[in-house]
Amino acid sequence: MASILYFRRVLFCSALFLLFFISLFEFLTDFDLERTHTPTESLNLTMSSLTCTKLTLFTVIAVFIQIIGLLLFVLGFFPVKSALSGVSGVESYRPPGCSSVQNQNVTTPISHELHRSLYRELSEIPPLFDRLILMVIDGLPAEFVLGKDGKPPPKALVEAMPFTQSLLAKGMAIGYHAKAASPTVTMPRLKAVVSGAIGGFLDIAFNFNTQALSDDNLIGQFFRIGWKMVMLGDETWLKLFPGLFTRHDGVSSFFVKDTVHVDHNVSRHLNEELNRTDWNMLILHYLGLDHVGHTGGRNSVLMGPKLTEMDEVIEKIHLSTIQTRNIDNERTLLMVISDHGMAENGNHGGSSFEETDSLALFIGLRNYYHASASHITAHQVDIAPTLALLFGVPIPKNNVGILLMENFHSLTDDQQLRALELNSWQLLRLLEVQLPDLACGSLSCNVSGDFHWYHANKCTGGVEEMFCCLFLDAAALHKSWKSKKVAGANNRDDYSASVLAYKEFLKTASQWISRRATNRPIGLLAAGLAVMVLSCMLLLRLLLQLCREVHLRKEPHLSDVNNNMHKGHLDQTFVLAIILILVLSMGSSSMVEEEQYIWHFVTSTLYLVLLRKTIQCIPPGMVQGSLGAIRGQNQRIYIQTCSTIVILVSGRLLRGWHQGGVNWTHLPDISKWLEQAGSAHIKAIHLISCLLVISLSLYTLSLLSSHRNFVMVVGFIFLFPGLLVLQHIIKYNNSGFAASSYGATLMAQIIYTILGIFTLVIVIALPWLMPVRNLETCSRPDLYLATDVLSDVQSKLLLGGFRDSTYVIGWVYMFCWCLLQLLLQQPINSMPVLLLLIQILASMCYYSNSDLHLKQWVEVGALYYLAMAGHFGLGNTNTLATIDVAGAFIGISNHSTLFSGILMFVITYASPMLVLLSMVMYISLKDTIPLMNAQDVDFGHLLKMTVGFPCLVPLGLNSIFLVAYTIVLLLMRNHLFVWSVFSPKYMYVCATTTCVFIGAFIVASTGIYTCMVFSFRRMLQNSSRNASQERMVSG
Amino acid sequence: MAAKKKKHTKALRKINGTVSSASASQLQAFMLHVICGLGLASAFWVAHNVYSISLISDPSQTLRLIWLVEALIVILFYSLFRQNPNECSYLKAVGRGLLGLPAGAVMNAFGAIVLGAPVHIHYFRKTLDWSLLMSVFTFVPAASIFGSSWIDWQRIFAHTKPIGCIDYMICLPAHGAVIGAWFGAWPMPLDWERPWQVFVLLPLNMICYM
Repeated sequence: MASILYFRRVLFCSALFLLFFISLFEFLTDFDLERTHTPTESLNLTMSSLTCTKLTLFTVIAVFIQIIGLLLFVLGFFPVKSALSGVSGVESYRPPGCSSVQNQNVTTPISHELHRSLYRELSEIPPLFDRLILMVIDGLPAEFVLGKDGKPPPKALVEAMPFTQSLLAKGMAIGYHAKAASPTVTMPRLKAVVSGAIGGFLDIAFNFNTQALSDDNLIGQFFRIGWKMVMLGDETWLKLFPGLFTRHDGVSSFFVKDTVHVDHNVSRHLNEELNRTDWNMLILHYLGLDHVGHTGGRNSVLMGPKLTEMDEVIEKIHLSTIQTRNIDNERTLLMVISDHGMAENGNHGGSSFEETDSLALFIGLRNYYHASASHITAHQVDIAPTLALLFGVPIPKNNVGILLMENFHSLTDDQQLRALELNSWQLLRLLEVQLPDLACGSLSCNVSGDFHWYHANKCTGGVEEMFCCLFLDAAALHKSWKSKKVAGANNRDDYSASVLAYKEFLKTASQWISRRATNRPIGLLAAGLAVMVLSCMLLLRLLLQLCREVHLRKEPHLSDVNNNMHKGHLDQTFVLAIILILVLSMGSSSMVEEEQYIWHFVTSTLYLVLLRKTIQCIPPGMVQGSLGAIRGQNQRIYIQTCSTIVILVSGRLLRGWHQGGVNWTHLPDISKWLEQAGSAHIKAIHLISCLLVISLSLYTLSLLSSHRNFVMVVGFIFLFPGLLVLQHIIKYNNSGFAASSYGATLMAQIIYTILGIFTLVIVIALPWLMPVRNLETCSRPDLYLATDVLSDVQSKLLLGGFRDSTYVIGWVYMFCWCLLQLLLQQPINSMPVLLLLIQILASMCYYSNSDLHLKQWVEVGALYYLAMAGHFGLGNTNTLATIDVAGAFIGISNHSTLFSGILMFVITYASPMLVLLSMVMYISLKDTIPLMNAQDVDFGHLLKMTVGFPCLVPLGLNSIFLVAYTIVLLLMRNHLFVWSVFSPKYMYVCATTTCVFIGAFIVASTGIYTCMVFSFRRMLQNSSRNASQERMVSG
Repeated sequence: MAAKKKKHTKALRKINGTVSSASASQLQAFMLHVICGLGLASAFWVAHNVYSISLISDPSQTLRLIWLVEALIVILFYSLFRQNPNECSYLKAVGRGLLGLPAGAVMNAFGAIVLGAPVHIHYFRKTLDWSLLMSVFTFVPAASIFGSSWIDWQRIFAHTKPIGCIDYMICLPAHGAVIGAWFGAWPMPLDWERPWQVFVLLPLNMICYM
């Protein structure tokens, strides 16, 4: 109920924001897109409503506000935790902020023993225990052991755990309802238990390549004081702490249906380990109970026997600890915890009470004061500071937990206050990072005992002042208590007052920090969503306007085309249906996991629909068609059919190349088959695809019929980097060590440089150099009189020049991108790169032969879908695990996050970027001349007609997906898989948005630049012609 | 189901009213569909009770049984409605239907593979049987009735513009089967781990057929 209310609130706020923005927008700009144009209205009016400048301006505004909205939403949804790096050491036993301490920062390595004695001396608290047995029962709800709302658990459950219940009843154990934070899945919860910190999602996302816990934590602290640790159970521990365990036997949680063997594999070592005395810490992680829950739910029939089994383990350990206590006088603490609870159906991951209700049970301390109070609530993070102080190690740096004071009652008053003080210092340090203005740490050094800081009234004011006040209160009371004690007057009231003051501070600080870590500010989310919706609407409106305009332009032209063009619009409907299908499928976690199937399925279907459309166009008298026009059309249809089939077949190969997804990765695919066949085959395929890419590209270039010689020069220039890449493949691939050698790195760097420089130079110089038949060739004197005709011819020639140069520039972009991919991608992916290139070229072939059969936005949309299908065809998935990290270090000599980040992006977004770059070539294919007013070639208008769709359609489609997915993420924020499925997918969506922005920017800027150069050239020609005309006249 | 049938008959009646040149009456068309439906049902019954196989336990065998029964019925009955019955004998129409069966299977297999059906020797028989069955619904009726008349084929399959009762007899099952199979493929990626997920496509296209 609360979550629905929350969502409603977010939606309501965003609607308000949206209304505000729209009204502001309409007020500020006279943006009359709403104006309806009837076809009978004059064309001039329609044209004036959306000029090129206006279109560009509004698109830029839309993109800009989309970026802002995305940033706002991401910042709101994934709060960045400001974690402290480093490890708590001796400084944690000194008050924070005292300047004198800073100098004593000893960095020389100290031995384990020295650490231990140093800590013991500084902490002034003797360790209460020597050995720790941490027994983790995965998924055990605390309710099963402690009951709920003060009531004991159901009778069946009490009977299932007789020993544990008797311990609780006798006051030999104390149990807590330890509230776990979301996400309630094992790894983040274990991190919370050992480090006391609450992590954000972005921490997981940024650390995708290392699973090891690098933050300060208890296991690391124990390791530093020389503890020998043994781990039996879930192998998550081994991933988190590689190399810290002396002995370990990890079991995998893979077979969820197995409820017996996972636990047997842990218990089989138990007797042996309990008899040994060489360890200080024993971790037992039992997965069976979680598996019981997953298979049979909370009330499964297997639950009782499983609880009994756990109870027997606890009994065995307890008896053995009593024995060791009697023999060696070693005090052992048995701690039984669970990482999370489970919902009614046995699943977990969300934040309902059943899932967050985890257990913390301390066994081994004698005489608890409140033995009956076995349902105390705490937080899971409280375990870390408690254990740290019980065992005499510093509290981990990022801990937000509070001491569980019930465990410290055997200490003296002095020591108890000291423990609270240490916890407060640690939290104060954490607060100082979050609130840089907080400066009471330094004050605390100077608090004097006789100075009565204590306020009877409540601390108020800003956050900083409140914390300061609370802390200083506690510190002052502590100090005054100490000075009185020295004087001999041991006042019980003073003691409890300072304990209360400390507890007050700890509680407030802990709550504030943890709320900050998990809080999602509604304002930010709503503003982000609203801004994204606004920009999406703006883009779609622009697109609609452009469509309408093109349609009106084409209308006179279309009237004489034969009638059946108007009939079937299945392709347009289907392109729109794909959007709907994808948006709907995003709501299901399995569909997000297996997204590649959807993209492939809908893209193939779209091309089948296009095939059907092509067949529709076959004239009835195909066989006996002897007229030239019909023959030409037949040839066109033939080419279209062939290219569609080529696209379909290579799409199928791409799909078969990587199985992809999450659930069916074990199924056979071509890449696995090739890897089994051996590296020689892979290398051969790599070489063949490289050669084919080069030859295919050169062939494509040679298709440009005019200026063959000029184009061939460009081709030969680019043969050089092609050959370099080929040499790199022959020389360095396939041998793991050589790939990182100096030569390989140098060569990769040379290739990057050459590709970058060549592309830049060609793109800048080409529009200037592109030969256009100028005045000399067509300056026959008889034409001089007809100036109108001349200027018309000239404009058309320049238009041809524009098309030719965009064709060549598009080719350069695509070829360079493919070469880069061949260099960077894994060898196995070289063939998919080739297949992608084939698909795109075939699409180009198809579109260049279909003048008016297809709407332009359908074509661009189809290309975009092809890009997304290809993205998954390259082996990408929606989990962060498939990002090719190894490839990101090719050609990088020293570690640079920026460069490897860029390379990673280049590798991951190979396919969408290739398609976006191919849009430059697509511009040149559209026959724009019939659209032009022959009298004056307005380059602004030309630009709008050619560059408009290739930029706006991807931007519009992407903005729809972005908005839809943002809403899905908001709806799913309490879903079981929000962190494992939906959030990584959102990262990908954000990266795709970036990719589309970059691509659209490149397309637009190339188009604008080329256009400007040509309009400048026309101006030059006009002036020179006028000059020569004047000469003629005067002569 | 009943409502669907009713709608179907209504549509047929409408056509019959407008197009006078239809050589098959609405009743005949209805009977034909009933016979096809019965054939399908009996094939299922035989598979279930005589051979005790189902689509889930032994898809290949079941599919083979179904398409054999259906092909027999479809070819024999649709050939009765052949175009130009004077120029083209009944046997020739049957022969055309038999030729259309493998040709249609090739087309359907191409479509299925392009849309993602597995290409593996392991799945070969299943794909083959499936495409033969699809061919029975899509290609064979048209082949029996029209032969190689391109205009009619284009009218039915590319433009979906049926004129008259016979056209509807071909058009509805063909499009129903294709659209049903297309939608039937949707639940496949869901990880519900239910065996029927894989074969949900057939029941669905049956429903569409009905």
